[in-house]
Amino acid sequence: MAISTNIWIWIAALLTLAIYSFLYKDNPFYKFAEYLLVGISIGYGVSIYWHNTIITKVYNPLVHEKDFLVIIPLILGLLMFSRFFKSYSHLSRMPIAFIVGAGTGLSIPSSFEFLFKQVQGTMPASLDVGNLIIIVGVITTLVYFFFSMEHKGFVGKVSRIGITFIMIAFGAAFGYTIMARISLLIGRIQFLLSDWLGIIK
Amino acid sequence: MLKGKNIPLAITFIVGIIMIVSFFIPHRPFGDIEQISLRWYSIIAGFTMVLGVDSLLGLHFRKIKRKEENWIHSIFLIAGFVMVFIAGVWGTIQYGSAFDERSFFTYIYNYFIVPLQATMFSLLAFFVASASYRAFRARNRDAALLLITAVIVMLGRVPIGEVISPYLPKFTDWIMEVPQMAAKRGIGLGIALGSLGVAIRIILGIERSYLS
Amino acid sequence: MKKNLVLLLISLLFIMLNAFGQDRAAEPMLPDSNAITSETVYLGNILILSDIPNDGGGGIEIDWELNDSLNNYYITIVRREGRTKKIVASDLLASSKQVRDVNSDEDMSNVKDGTEYFYTAILSKYAVSQQILDYLVCDSIDLNTRTIADGYQVYLISDESGPVKAKASWFNPERLTVFVSAIIISFIFLLYLQFARNGKKLYIRKINGLDAVEEAVGRSTEMGKPIMYILGIGYVTDIPTIAGLTILGRVAKKVAEYKTKILVPSYDPVVMTTAQEVVKEAFTEAGRPDIYNKNDIMYITQDQFGYAAGVDGMMIREKPGAVFLQGLFFAESLILAETGHSIGAIQIAGTTETAQLPFFVAACDYTLIGEEMMAASVYLQKDPLMLGSIAAEDIMKVIIIIIIIIGFILGILGIGLHIEFFNKIFNLLIEIL
Repeated sequence: MAISTNIWIWIAALLTLAIYSFLYKDNPFYKFAEYLLVGISIGYGVSIYWHNTIITKVYNPLVHEKDFLVIIPLILGLLMFSRFFKSYSHLSRMPIAFIVGAGTGLSIPSSFEFLFKQVQGTMPASLDVGNLIIIVGVITTLVYFFFSMEHKGFVGKVSRIGITFIMIAFGAAFGYTIMARISLLIGRIQFLLSDWLGIIK
Repeated sequence: MLKGKNIPLAITFIVGIIMIVSFFIPHRPFGDIEQISLRWYSIIAGFTMVLGVDSLLGLHFRKIKRKEENWIHSIFLIAGFVMVFIAGVWGTIQYGSAFDERSFFTYIYNYFIVPLQATMFSLLAFFVASASYRAFRARNRDAALLLITAVIVMLGRVPIGEVISPYLPKFTDWIMEVPQMAAKRGIGLGIALGSLGVAIRIILGIERSYLS
Repeated sequence: MKKNLVLLLISLLFIMLNAFGQDRAAEPMLPDSNAITSETVYLGNILILSDIPNDGGGGIEIDWELNDSLNNYYITIVRREGRTKKIVASDLLASSKQVRDVNSDEDMSNVKDGTEYFYTAILSKYAVSQQILDYLVCDSIDLNTRTIADGYQVYLISDESGPVKAKASWFNPERLTVFVSAIIISFIFLLYLQFARNGKKLYIRKINGLDAVEEAVGRSTEMGKPIMYILGIGYVTDIPTIAGLTILGRVAKKVAEYKTKILVPSYDPVVMTTAQEVVKEAFTEAGRPDIYNKNDIMYITQDQFGYAAGVDGMMIREKPGAVFLQGLFFAESLILAETGHSIGAIQIAGTTETAQLPFFVAACDYTLIGEEMMAASVYLQKDPLMLGSIAAEDIMKVIIIIIIIIGFILGILGIGLHIEFFNKIFNLLIEIL
């Protein structure tokens, strides 16, 4: 057994154990690790933002490349600070409106492209049972998502088949990812037993 | 006039339409609009980060001041934030970039953030087990179907599955390629249509709760 | 003993081969300078130049057709603009058949629209030295008449091709199908919105879980516990997050009516500010602006698992009676859902990520699947215009089903019965899509 003498490894190991203690019940060690993670990750996020955005996308273009277009998002960003002042806080709606407009506008064409790709994929490349089942599955699932009519009678029966397909898909996705999750646990245990305690190589 | 919702709604409409149109027009400036708007978004988002940090730090300072429950842990949170912040500044001064391998900042990332994140992620193994255990007491036909499929796929993906039956891995693959694919497509189509609906409602100003 | 000897011999052989191989890789392949004469071979016109189609300008496409024997040769492309020359590509294998001269983030006016450019290709068996590259871009050299010889290798030089100009297109014809269907779909939407405005009665079916909202809020109030609403780890530009925010508005209104507390831990500051506005408006609408507390809607962190840890801790301490998980979730979904289950809260979840939905189904009391989440905000408010858009979405589903069935029938007739005519239409359909 060759316990590590590296203080950094010890810190990492103790923090790991502190998080795992959550499985037993909430306790001061977990609370410590949780609050620390939140605090550190925010600090890290601010640093990344400073480096990747302020310096690279605002300061450099403005000061070095004289790209004045950057002033527009700068002003919009500053408008967000109006939230600190109660009587002007409604000004913050403008940058939000811009962001939401841009995001939803960009999403519309990509939704269309997605629709086409999916329908194209459903077209049978060859006539076998598999492709037939896929077509039935896609149609019945779509019927399940009909909102403007009650699911009674024929529509109801088709929709039942649809939810059956959906449940099978969910079960498959569940089973598929279980192994991946377990391997994460194995990774942490390996760190504890190998890097920290040196029990296994 | 500035106080009303009309200007923001107009901004949403105009910006939305410009984005849609630029999808079809490669010519400058429309072709670059997507890239430009992504850049602008990250700039604006950063300013809001200041608001967020202010909200969080303010909350915890208040907790410490009023000695509310868990106020000691709030000290750790603020200490963690300050430690990383100083490490970042120090790293930039010492090495030119805080992300240099030798900086204290990078050590914090590798030995604090990464283990904490990875361990949180690995908790999923336990939660998957407890969720599966509950699902085993299947109450209705749908849950039973989900469960049976999960077990089949799970076994089909590990070596034991082959031992149980050579057809199991093949059946697993078939499940993934046929019924799973079909339902995923159907759900995906529904989501794409739903997204279109939400997006159109937002751009036309029918849905305006996000502005309040 | 014999087995060990054989193994030893095989290992020695293996080691020798490796060492030999490494030796060969370490030395550069230099030709025997005595064997090559200083020579330039003229290839004639081999370059095919064109403007890159359907782009925003600033791009030229350079293709070439060569004898197969030259496929392993290196090709260097030189561009001339007036008297200035520039190396566009070097160290490229001739077998790649094509290279594009484009603008990049670092060099935004590398290729200018409307300017005439001329290109020349130089082939060589071995990589071209920096000396030769510098020689090629000298202003005084005319590549059409000069020879390139350095005593190392033979250079093959093509005729100068051109002029060619880059152009920006105003419309991308590859996106024509999307354009046409966008027009059709917008028409359908606007039609149904008009129906709704004219008072036509539109129906929305029951969505499992949404009827439980009132029950969930009521139970929490009775137990004196707050409600927790988790918007997930999306940004305000993500449609599921917007859908989550609209549902938040409806739920917050109920919470205000019951005079309870609602906690909204947020992942993104913009989402936090938007959520604050949404809840404030909901409380005002319910007539209880006095019990709105801005600090109940707080920012946690923008780190996925930091967020999960923070929300988990909050759940364990605040012990909400009802937990809503509506938005965009990824791997942390199960951590949140399981913790919520462990404290005995009634959970109503909804997301569009098909990979996370199974976990929600397993751990929560009610799950809204994909589009149900987006229809939820309409269901909870039943505004006529919104119902109109739901009806329009259903019409499009019917259209899609019809297209799939047509495709299927064409497939049977074309592929199955080998009727050529239908086969052609089938392929046409696929191409349009």
